Amino acid sequence: MRNSRIAITGLGIFCAASKDIPTFTDALLTGKSAIGPVDLFDVTPFPSRIGAQVKEYRPDDYFGKKGAARLSRADQFAAIAAGQALAASDVRRHYDMFDIGVAVGAGAAGMIHSEQWLRERLAGKRGHPALLRGILPDRTATALAERFRLCGYQGSVTTACSSSATAIGWGAGLIATGQLKACLCGGTDTLSVLTYAGFNSLRVVDREPCSPFSLGRQGISLGEGAAFLVLEEEAAAVARGATIHGFILGYALDGEAHHMTAPEPTGAEAARVMRDALAAAGLTTDNVGWVNAHGTGTPLNDAIESKAFRQVFGQRAAEVPLVSTKGLTGHCLGAAGAIEITATLLALQAGIIPQTLNFRGTDPECDLDYCHTGPKPSAATVALSNSFAFGGNITSVVISR
Amino acid sequence: MTNRTLDIAVTGCAAISAAGVGAAALREAVDAGTPCLTPVPAELLGEPGHYWGKADAFRAADFMPPLKARKFDRSSLLATVTAGLALQDAGATPAALGATRIGIALGCGFGGIANSVEFLSGYFSAGIDGLVPMLFPNTVANAPASNASIEHGLKGPNVTQVQRFCSAETALQMACRFLAEGRADVMLAGGVDELNAPVMQGFHAMGQLRRYAHGFGEGCGILVLERRDHAERRGTAIRGTIDEIRTIGFIPEEHCAAGTDRLLGATAPELLSLSGTAPEWPPVANIFPAVRRLAVGPLVGRSLAMGGLAMVSLLLLLAPGQRGLHLAASPEGPYFGIDFTGGGPV
Repeated sequence: MRNSRIAITGLGIFCAASKDIPTFTDALLTGKSAIGPVDLFDVTPFPSRIGAQVKEYRPDDYFGKKGAARLSRADQFAAIAAGQALAASDVRRHYDMFDIGVAVGAGAAGMIHSEQWLRERLAGKRGHPALLRGILPDRTATALAERFRLCGYQGSVTTACSSSATAIGWGAGLIATGQLKACLCGGTDTLSVLTYAGFNSLRVVDREPCSPFSLGRQGISLGEGAAFLVLEEEAAAVARGATIHGFILGYALDGEAHHMTAPEPTGAEAARVMRDALAAAGLTTDNVGWVNAHGTGTPLNDAIESKAFRQVFGQRAAEVPLVSTKGLTGHCLGAAGAIEITATLLALQAGIIPQTLNFRGTDPECDLDYCHTGPKPSAATVALSNSFAFGGNITSVVISR
Repeated sequence: MTNRTLDIAVTGCAAISAAGVGAAALREAVDAGTPCLTPVPAELLGEPGHYWGKADAFRAADFMPPLKARKFDRSSLLATVTAGLALQDAGATPAALGATRIGIALGCGFGGIANSVEFLSGYFSAGIDGLVPMLFPNTVANAPASNASIEHGLKGPNVTQVQRFCSAETALQMACRFLAEGRADVMLAGGVDELNAPVMQGFHAMGQLRRYAHGFGEGCGILVLERRDHAERRGTAIRGTIDEIRTIGFIPEEHCAAGTDRLLGATAPELLSLSGTAPEWPPVANIFPAVRRLAVGPLVGRSLAMGGLAMVSLLLLLAPGQRGLHLAASPEGPYFGIDFTGGGPV
């Protein structure tokens, strides 16, 4: 990808922090956390009862009755965010429909609806088959392709919390290698009983809003949402007069081959993926102004990511901030990478390094600059965004304004 | 969308399916043309008359200690064992080649569903006391690829694709790209799916058992891929090559001809492999009418990631220098056309 810069010509977002790019930018710059009580389903049995839920959402505001019925909550969020990105880029007017693809990072997909089917079955009822329609994570890509008539490619990456970061890197690669002229890529995920109960059962959910890299952090705050980017080759975007918001300069994805849930303890693998991403972009750490961490707020992740960061940045580790935006958006699992790449780009454009929210005190294992006290002005042009997942699926993406 | 002149060598393969354990069992079933489907136990669905391709001959205990096998879901077991057999077939070990230079790209259609249902059933039936934390990690679709990578020490690119009946083909496309870009020297690529009670009951509720009446199947098919120059340097036998991959997503009805044209290559194949819903896709009837057709779905059952088994079958049947076209389709897309050329004896 060194010879061909991949431009971002459209952005869209729909999450708890905001329902469009301007308000998301405002929330990012001012540090407005979206984490609060969850009422999408009954959370009273769990130790943690909070999350970054999209509130005041009415499908009727965005879809006809029939359209909404055919789409899961995750599909709907994706369609809204993707619609924003496509409208902003106006890309469909300029390319043949067979030259535009869709690459989605998918997570729990329509699990929340399928859970209702299972409840009905366990209660001895028939269970409405339509509740199962969106259970497979590929449904979103198919729905987007059909809805927006994007015919060039249709793929869904499902690598848990690194899904959408990988989908964006992959989409950029498809353009860089001339296989597509444009690609709608991003991710979507919604809260579900499965993930809420699952992470609670693993005891990695904080009862208070997550506090990445802080002393006494207890774990994640789950979130939901979708973010999508429209990518195309820079020269083509310039030629058609598109607004270029920034660039995907490179990415890497690796396997830690260590454990299904625990990160590799030395940080060597997380360090490797950051180095590989920079190499793919043809850059060094000297080019990087800050890093949007995976930064979940779990005791293990944050300590090991800090350790990996020190290995990669060496002497510069003290001067390059490592920040987490999960205090703002919650951990949106399959959509996390796309939301964080969007946040990274918006912060680069605004000339700030965002704040890591909810500081509770300094942890000796996390002794770097996490921007805990507030956003910082920055002239940085390049940042990394890390996404680490169950199974040791790790991805890092290099973004520039 | 085309990956031109890939020149990716296939240096090994493995399969586990309703035909048995190992590529030879699959080859035998394909040669015989006899379906390996068996009746779905009537008590599972509440009615008789349905068939499935269950990999009954596969016993994880033949490959690993039972206590170890217990931590995996069935898809992960199938993927982990098949990956090991494929590496063995290719003579490729992470120790010799460098762990960070070997990766895996796997299509996985239904992975995680059985664990998700079991995990949620515990909660819905018994509340928070019914939660079993050890089930949760395997509810993700990437568990099979991740477990295989952990078991075999594969530290290169690791990715899972779910894309309807083209899940394995999408994974193969990624694997070839990663090789071409130099992200890895060796990639395992293919597909895995498991059959279980929740999946079958879901199909039944949605009417899918009638729609895809050939019967659903399970198993895993994996190809070992590397750039030709790497395979030659390694001095390993090249069992075939992947020459070009073409894919499109959704085809609007009025653009069917334009879409189909993009899937067909420049040269006529001598063997046509049909996967997913390609055998029922109307344009296929008119494509290369005189060419021999291979469809493994009716033989071992159909699954979302059956392309892994189909591509292994195609490779097994191709004579040296013979050209094969693998066509895969899903309702509402995507569609794949992949050109293979046969190499040395498999």
